[in-house]
Parts: sequence; structure tokens; C-alpha cells
Amino acid sequence: MIDITVKIGGEAGFGIMTTGLLLGKIATRSGYHAFEYSEYPSLIRGGHNVIEVRISDEKVYSQQKQVDILLCLNLETFNKHASEVKEGGIIVYDTEKIPESKLNKPDVNLTYVHVPFVSILQEHKLSTVMLNNIALGALMHLLGADLNILNAAIVENFARKNQEIIDKNILAAKLGYEKTQKEMPQGYKLKLPKLKNIIPRLYISGNEMIGLASIAAGCRFYAAYPMTPTSALLHYLASQAQNCGMVVKHAEDEISVINMALGASFAGVRSMIGTSGGGFALMVESVSLAGITETPIVIVMGQRPGPATGMPTWTEQGDLLFVLHAGHGEFPKILLAPGDVEEAYKLTITAFNLAEIYQTPVFIIGDKYLQESHQSVEKSIIEGYKFKIDRGKLLSQEELSKLTEYKRYLITKDGISPRAIPGMKGSLHQANSYAHGEDGHTSEEADVRIKQVEKRNKKAQTFLMNDFQMPVLYGNRQTPLTLISWGSVKAPILQAMSKFKDKFNYLHFSYLWPLDKIKIKSLLSTFKKTLLVENNSGAQLGQLLTMVTGLEFEKKLLKYSGRPIYPEEILDKISFST
Amino acid sequence: MNNNNSIPPTPASPKPVAPVSEHTAGFSGYFPTWCPGCGNFGIWQALKMTFNKMKFDPDRLSIVFGIGCSGNMNDFLWANSFHALHGRAIPNAIGIKIANHDLPVVVIVGDGDCYGEGGNHFLHAARGNHDITVIVHDNRVYGLTTGQVAPTASQGFKSKSTPQGIIEVPVNPIALAVSQGATFVAQGFSGDMNQLVELIEKGVAHKGFSLVNIFQPCVTFNQINSYNWYRDRIYKLTSENHNPRDLNSAWQKSQEVTEKIPLGVVYDVDRPTYTDSLPQLSGKPLLDSALNIDLAQFINDFV
Ligand SMILES: Cc1ncc(C[n+]2csc(CCOP(=O)(O)OP(=O)(O)O)c2C)c(N)n1
Ligand code: SF4
Ligand SMILES: [Mg+2]
Repeated sequence: MIDITVKIGGEAGFGIMTTGLLLGKIATRSGYHAFEYSEYPSLIRGGHNVIEVRISDEKVYSQQKQVDILLCLNLETFNKHASEVKEGGIIVYDTEKIPESKLNKPDVNLTYVHVPFVSILQEHKLSTVMLNNIALGALMHLLGADLNILNAAIVENFARKNQEIIDKNILAAKLGYEKTQKEMPQGYKLKLPKLKNIIPRLYISGNEMIGLASIAAGCRFYAAYPMTPTSALLHYLASQAQNCGMVVKHAEDEISVINMALGASFAGVRSMIGTSGGGFALMVESVSLAGITETPIVIVMGQRPGPATGMPTWTEQGDLLFVLHAGHGEFPKILLAPGDVEEAYKLTITAFNLAEIYQTPVFIIGDKYLQESHQSVEKSIIEGYKFKIDRGKLLSQEELSKLTEYKRYLITKDGISPRAIPGMKGSLHQANSYAHGEDGHTSEEADVRIKQVEKRNKKAQTFLMNDFQMPVLYGNRQTPLTLISWGSVKAPILQAMSKFKDKFNYLHFSYLWPLDKIKIKSLLSTFKKTLLVENNSGAQLGQLLTMVTGLEFEKKLLKYSGRPIYPEEILDKISFST
Repeated sequence: MNNNNSIPPTPASPKPVAPVSEHTAGFSGYFPTWCPGCGNFGIWQALKMTFNKMKFDPDRLSIVFGIGCSGNMNDFLWANSFHALHGRAIPNAIGIKIANHDLPVVVIVGDGDCYGEGGNHFLHAARGNHDITVIVHDNRVYGLTTGQVAPTASQGFKSKSTPQGIIEVPVNPIALAVSQGATFVAQGFSGDMNQLVELIEKGVAHKGFSLVNIFQPCVTFNQINSYNWYRDRIYKLTSENHNPRDLNSAWQKSQEVTEKIPLGVVYDVDRPTYTDSLPQLSGKPLLDSALNIDLAQFINDFV
């Protein structure tokens, strides 16, 4: 089995992220599976950026601790990460820029490759932004990959630039490739062999996948105010807006974001918004407005470590209970949390249907780890996913014309009232933030109040009956230990499981609210031993499950350093606790 | 100024005084619960007269109401409406307009709602030249919450929340709108219904962001800015004394806020609206765009 991790580090502003992205893309195109993880501070220039790409001929779910090839564009990368490189690995660096005297070389057997990035640039009069292509060329040689694939990627990447820029970038890659060729000892083994069977795959981030899914689902209005880790969703949709006929609005603040989307949705357009914890905090009053006006909306809530501004570019799952409780008053909301890009695609499409079926806010809870990491996924899974756009009880003009009287908040058995769109003949109604009766007019009468509260609550029951999905159990049912988690933690858990198949199984929650109390309780009661794994300090899923089922979770693996959980940490914890 | 023994306004929940069939009543809803003599009555009548005059169909008119005595008009004026949160009516209205730019979209808000709680939205809606009409009930107080200062209150105004008098100077709605890119700015008085109808009609017909700031005496919580107080100061803008297409002249008029106060169209210029600037919307409203789309081109970007 081939399983290689390449880590690239340097100062922010030198195209390191692009280098990693292109590397993952090239590996994917060559038929390999790839997973990317990046760490960077909230700075534009300076600071320390690293990106790692794990490449394998088997499915990869997450990053790993050990590094095979470390490419250092500055001294800090060398000294911080050299110890992560495993026996027999390679460290590439610029001897002219990084003085030998300052290096902390680890005590294991490594190959050091000297590539004078800076003098290559100077010699060939290339600009510093092309440094990343020298690095990519070097990596192409080290991995035994075909330089032509890189050249094709460069041509694509710079399609809008003139030929001279393209040629210079291609030259930079070639120089990096050739220099490395000269430096490398003959017959070293770390190469990626050419694969016979190349399965077409996408190399895509969680943000891009949510965006792609929203286009597929018929979302035609997206509003956001930039905030990591969800900004890239705004960038992606803004870049595609004219191609797919979507209006993408960068509004003045998050309060405006959600209210514009509610307006567009009231007027009949499928609408989505995206933010992170701080921005979402500003939206909370309007989540409640969506609840009482029964306006569909899909909200992408990308978590990052808080409180307040917290650690903007890092990852955490600290907002589950915040989202669960967001919005004053009582109304149903639906919480979904994809664990990988494939789930992100399917759940986003589902979210749009659920929002319109239940006429209530639906959340896609992500985090920096899922949303910003690129990973490969079979193209056929995305292309072949069959779904139907279900607009719930949205009335057609024909259906509306047949009604003698239209009541927006009609009391119904399932709690869902027929919805008409302003502009349709006979649609006259109001969506009211005040408590109201069936016709939408303000009412403070006790019996009217009770009926409308019960009507809205009923929607949660209907959801549990018709659309709720139980958590999925991965692995062998018979193993003595069950890991329990949600969202992006699926990645390191499945990665750990791929190595030790019979040690544990994994219960993955992606439908987080409303929960079917009885079914969940009886399922949880069948497990002999459990280990709750979460990327937060409060074991928030654990708290939620305890609230719903009364069951307590004793053993926990919680991480809240702003870093994702590593498969190695899961295996350590398991061998310790079994 | 004595606000202490003023009567509180009637509760937000109106009793259906005269239930009417929604399809035959034009725009008339329930009978208002405002205090007798409240300036809101004049605005309400003027709105209904304008919509009838413009031959609007209640099914095809969208109104977003703010929260306040003014916003309570949601139950007195029938149209396809969205009763918003306090301060947030403007973004709702922008969303509606983007979704269906064929619908006229009108926002009915109080001065606290529009210039205080929602002040940021107001600035940005003007900049964007979103094609909505914002009708502000400028009574210089918070009516519904029983008489605190509004951002439009004159310096020194005593209220429940400023018993010693407000320290801040008032916002200047007209100057604010003109300076932030609004393309139609007018000022009216709820004591002059004929002019109000004219201003609202012009505002709604205008393509782009329009503000109609309306002096609306609150007879319960503002004893100072009464009908007579306004009548002593207002004068009408005419083609002789003002050119609304001229920014300098509009700016000058916007500074007349104490001794002489102008009524009429202060500013009226043309600039492409937000929705007219989006190629996605050139054919038909967003609402009518197809939901199913060939995904191949989007998927292939990631191969
Ligand atoms: C977020 C929020 N804060 C406060 C309130 C309470 N509130 C309701 S109306 C209002 C002020 C109303 O003043 P204005 O907007 O001038 O309207 P008026 O009643 O004068 O027409 C306030 C503070 C609220 N509903 N929501
Ligand atoms: S604005 Fe003043 S007068 Fe009018 S209803 Fe409210 S409290 Fe009464
Ligand atoms: Mg007011």
C-alpha cells in the first residue's frame, strides 16, 4: 500500500496553499486518493503556513502525524517539523537561504535535498510568486510523477493570463524538477507508481462541495458576510453566480445577510446563508423570525474555536449546543452535520428539501477542518446521486386558485401549512413575526396562541416520522467498543478504523436535531462500551444525548487545541482504555 | 414637556373592528388601534389612496413592516406583507426585490426602527440603490415602547429614557439619504394628505432606492413636535425654490431642519438599480429561474 504525506511550509504570502492544492489535484488526476490539511495563522503576510497532502492508493480519510516529504521554504518549517519526518523520509530546503548552522536535524536517517529556490528565481528572472512552481517541480520528481500533468494544471490555472506568464511558470516547474533530479541519490523508493486503472475523482473542499450541492439543489440566492471558515463558500458561489443564475450578496452585516435571505425565501426563492460562530451570534434573533414566520432557510454554520474572535483559522466543534438553542422562543429547527465531502453534497441537497418541507431553518454544521480541507471523492458518486427537488407544501397557481380562502398558517395534522408566494393570484397573506392566527394576522388570544405553538411543534414530530435518519454504524457490529461522534471527526475515526478493523466500530451522527429519543436510547443501550470523541472541551454531543436519552457517557476523547483529532490519538486512547 | 401622565397606546394586538373580505377591500384591513389623533392615520390613508390610484393589486404588492406603532399597520393595510423584526425590514425588502423584481416593494417603519436599530441597513440600501420605497414615520419618539427618545429627537428632548434631555444631536434623515447614495429623497407631513399621496406615488414609481420621511405627530408621547409645531415651520419645495436633480441644492435643503423645514421632493436622480445591474436577472425574475441545472460544467471544475 502506498501512503505518502507531503508537508510544505513557509511564510504566508508565498503561494504555499496553491502548491498543496495543485499537488493534491495532480495526485487525484493520477488516480490516487488525496486528503489535505492546512494550518495557518490569521495573517496575510508573514506567520507560518503549512499544508500537508496525504496521497494513497487506498481511500484516505484524514491527515496523519508522520511525514514522508517535508518541503521547507523557511527555517521555521525545518525546525518545527523536521522531527515529524519518518525514517527514510526526505527534507527539501534551500541551503542558500536556510543556514546549516541553524538547523536542528533529527537523529534519524533522512535524505536532505538542496534546492536553491531563491537563486533559481534570480538567475532566470522569475518573480517570487513563481517559487511555488519550482517547489511543485521538485515534488513531481520526488514522487516520480509526470511533469506534463503539472504543466497541464499550470496552463489551466493561468488560463486567463498571457502566454509569457504561463511559459515562465512552466519553466519554473521544469527547473525545480531538474535540480531535484540532480540532487537525488539513484534508486530511492518513495515514488508513486503509475496506476493502470484511473478512477475519475474530484478534488474538492467542504466549502466547494456545499456550494456545488446548493447549485444542484436549486438555491438561487446566497448571502454572506466574510468569515473564516465559510468565506470560501462565498468566493466559490460568487465565482459561479452568473453561470448558474444565482444572486450572491455580500451584505453589510450578518443580520442583513439572514434577513435578505428570509425576504428572498418569503418571495419564493431557495436561499442559503453562510457564517461562523460570531456572525451566527448576530443572526440569532432572525433565526427565531424564520421559526415564527415559517420561512425556509438553509444556514451553513462553519465552526472555529471561540469564544469571540477566538482562533479564526483553526478548527473546533464548540458550537453544537449554541446552534441547537439559538433563537428565542420555541420552534423547531433541523440540524445536520456532514462528516466528509460526500455527506456534505448529499446533506446540503437534503437541507434545501427539508427547509421547504418543514418551512423552518435547517442548519449545515461544518467546521474549518471539513470546509477548508480538500479531499478526493469518486466523481460517479456525485454525478450518480439521484435526488428530487421537493418543495413541500408550496402551492402552484393552480392549487391556489382552487382554494376559496387562503390561510398561510392553516392548522393541519402534520403542522405544515400550505405556502403561497407573493405575486400569485389569491396569495394575499402576511408572514408575521408577531404571534398570529391562521390568516397571519396578529393575535394574542390564548387559544389561537396555543394552537399555533402546537402546530409549529408538530413539525418536529412529522420530521421524526418522515425524514429523520438514525446515526450510521461503521465497522463490525460485534466489536467490544463503540466510538460515538459527529461531523468532521468521522474522518480521523474512519482512518484509525481502516488500520484496526476489529478493535472498534463507530456510530456517526449527522442528523443531530430533532432526535428520536426512543430509537436512539435503545440503540445506545446495545453497546457494551463507548468512547465519545469530540473536537471540543464540553462533550457537546454527549450532553445532547444525555439530555435526550438520560444515558451518561463516561469515557471521552476530547480535543480543543484548535487542531483536528489525529487517527493516532484515537488509537492511543483505545489501546489505553482497552 | 410632560410625558408622565400620558395615556399608553393601545396594545399591539388589534381587534378586528371591521373584518373585510380580503379580495374586495382594496387595501383596507382592520380598523387601526392607534391613539385618536395620531399622525399614523394620515399616512395610512395616503398609502391606501396611492396604491388604489396606482391600480396596484394587493396580491402583487409586497410590504415589509417594521416593529413600532407604525409597523402595527400590518393589520390595517392588506397586501402581501412580511412583518419583520425591529430594525430589519429593509434587508427583508431587499431580499424580496432580488427574488422578484417585478413586485413593487414598500417598507413601512418608524424612525427608531429605521435610523436607530436598523441604521446600518439604511445606509447600505441607499448605496445599493435597491429599488424599494422606505416610508419612515418620523415622530421623534419610540411610540410603541411608550415614549423614549428616537434618534430624530431634537437635542435636549426629555423623555422616559432621557429625563434630563437627550445629549446627542438628531440624525438628519434627508442629509443621510442624500449623502449615502439614495436616488429619491422626499419629506412629507401626515397633516397634508394630498401632498403625501403625490410623494409616495413618486417614490414608489421611482426606479431605485426611495425614502419618504414623514413628519408624524405622536399625540401621546411627543407634546413638542405637534401638528402646529410643524405647521409653523414647513414650506413646500417648488420648481422655483429648488431643483431636486441638483445635489448642491438638495444638500442645502437637507440642512433646513429647525426654523424652516422643506416638504416635497428634495432629491431625485437616476442610477441603475441593484437588480438592473445583475445580468442574471436581465431575462426574468430570479423566482422564475429553473431549479434543475446541468451540473456537468460545475463538477468538471474539480476534476
Ligand atoms: C430587538 C428589539 N429591541 C427592542 C424592541 C422593542 N421595541 C419595539 S418597538 C420599539 C421602538 C419603536 O419606535 P419607532 O421605531 O420609532 O416606532 P414608533 O412606535 O414610534 O412608530 C422598540 C424599542 C424590539 N421589539 N426588538
Ligand atoms: S405614535 Fe404616538 S400617538 Fe400614534 S399610536 Fe403610537 S403612541 Fe399613539
Ligand atoms: Mg418613532
